[in-house]
Amino acid sequence: MLYALMGLGLSLITGVLNIPNFAHGALFAVGAYFLFSTLHVVGNFWLALVLAPVGVALLGLAIEYAGIRPLYAAGHDYQLLFTFGLSLILSEGIIVVWGPIGFSQLPPSILRGGLDLGFTFYPKYRLFVMVMAGLLVLATWLFLEKTRYGAIMRAGIENKEMVSLLGIDVHRLFTAAFGLGAYLAGIAGALTAPIRGLSPSMGVDMLGIAFVVVALGGLGNLLGAIAAGLIIGVAQAVVALYWTEASVAVIFAVMAAILLVRPQGLFGIR
Amino acid sequence: MSRAWLAVLAAVVLLPLIVRHAIASEIWIFAIFGLGLNLLLGYTGLLSFGQSTFFGAAAYVAGYLLKLHGINVFTALGIGVVVGAVSAAMVGYLCVQRSGLYFIMLTFALNQMFYFIAYQWTTVTGGEDGMPGVPRPLVLGMDIRQPLPYYVFVVVLFLISLWVMKRIVESPFGKILQAIRENDVRAEAVGYDVARFKLLAFVIGGAFSGLAGVLYAMLFGIVPLEAIGFVFSGNVVFATLIGGGGSLYGPIIGSFVFIWLSESVSVVWQRWPLLLGVAFVIVVLFFRGGCVEAWARFWSWRERRRALAGLAR
Repeated sequence: MLYALMGLGLSLITGVLNIPNFAHGALFAVGAYFLFSTLHVVGNFWLALVLAPVGVALLGLAIEYAGIRPLYAAGHDYQLLFTFGLSLILSEGIIVVWGPIGFSQLPPSILRGGLDLGFTFYPKYRLFVMVMAGLLVLATWLFLEKTRYGAIMRAGIENKEMVSLLGIDVHRLFTAAFGLGAYLAGIAGALTAPIRGLSPSMGVDMLGIAFVVVALGGLGNLLGAIAAGLIIGVAQAVVALYWTEASVAVIFAVMAAILLVRPQGLFGIR
Repeated sequence: MSRAWLAVLAAVVLLPLIVRHAIASEIWIFAIFGLGLNLLLGYTGLLSFGQSTFFGAAAYVAGYLLKLHGINVFTALGIGVVVGAVSAAMVGYLCVQRSGLYFIMLTFALNQMFYFIAYQWTTVTGGEDGMPGVPRPLVLGMDIRQPLPYYVFVVVLFLISLWVMKRIVESPFGKILQAIRENDVRAEAVGYDVARFKLLAFVIGGAFSGLAGVLYAMLFGIVPLEAIGFVFSGNVVFATLIGGGGSLYGPIIGSFVFIWLSESVSVVWQRWPLLLGVAFVIVVLFFRGGCVEAWARFWSWRERRRALAGLAR
């Protein structure tokens, strides 16, 4: 579900703005570190969980406004270089601010320990993350499908010229989409922190996964992102049981296998 | 012989007098790497963000064989080229079926796959520590273990690569690639199998990357994990773009600038990738069009200042 959340945010950004966002993983990592620091300041996990992603979203808005906006006409190569440079700055910035050694972050006390589900024993916090991620995906879906702004965003993925001809400010649409995508990356990062701990390389690891989700699911395709997120999540979990070392590489192997059979991705767009 | 070739030859002779021999070698190796990417990016219009896959794979395989089986240097180079080409064929087969953003994302994702294989397969690759102990064997009985002879060896291979690449881009095949870059729908309509030509360009680019990878492993005597990482892929894209893609000599200029830049910032601060990231951002925001355009802008700025000074007087 976390993968779906990551992929969904990236999918929104890539779909609406039509840029390859290589800083998405770094935004994820920043989300985790923001949670860590806000938790130290405010001392309340729930408040920090609300604040940290908002911080990432604000960062995203600033990045879009200052950096990406001049680049829409520049072609994918320069956009890629820009977001790649940004990702270097953010991930090295994390090392400068928080140090190269990772941290571990405990979940809040209510969510510690496990829950007996009858057939298996499952950590409470992981269940919470699953539910949260599911709710967030659902909320994003409702936003995109049922609200006016969501409709504009979907229209932006389909045809930008038409949207701007209808009198909608596409630049504001782009900024909003980037902000929303950054928010989703940030909250995914914040939720992950208590599961896997924090390390400066966490962003890059997640970036590859997010790209796999988008490549399989299709740009701006919500259902595709969820399906692809679940497929690779399950594949990874199953392989991790038998052959731990290969559990990351298998994500990409699964992608390659699916693309061999269906080069157009799961739902066949473009 | 054209002016460009004279300039390249002059640079070949002058460079080792100015910078350390190892860095001079690194510049030409990186230029070979850039030549390979430029065939894709500049001539075919394919933005590959996974070139280090082929570079790293070739470096690991050839380095491993050099280290444990003491193979001949030409065999090592040949193996590097083949490994680069074969890995590019595998990755390319999956990638050329999609275009635009999907293509970029797939090259990157498959790069990550190779990276994690190298990261986890510690018995062969040494994982995070890299694979040390890659030797430099004799070349036709000559010893290339000293920096200067190795520089000569690298430069000879670079000049051959440049000549081969020049022949490729000026051949009918090269023209077809440029037609695909300009308008792939039309190229398809004229009767060319666009996917197959893209794949072929990918394989050739991979072969060049493989050659560069082996030379890199022999230069430093180690295959670091970064050699197959995505940052390396990004660096070569940066070098090719700042040099000016679409021109045969662009990646050479780019590789000069990039290696010089990274060597000079890496001594300033341990967290130099941050500075490199800042440099990327600045170049993209203010100096799009590469060094050539920046140079032109500098001159027009000087002209304007001189004109203003004239007016003030």
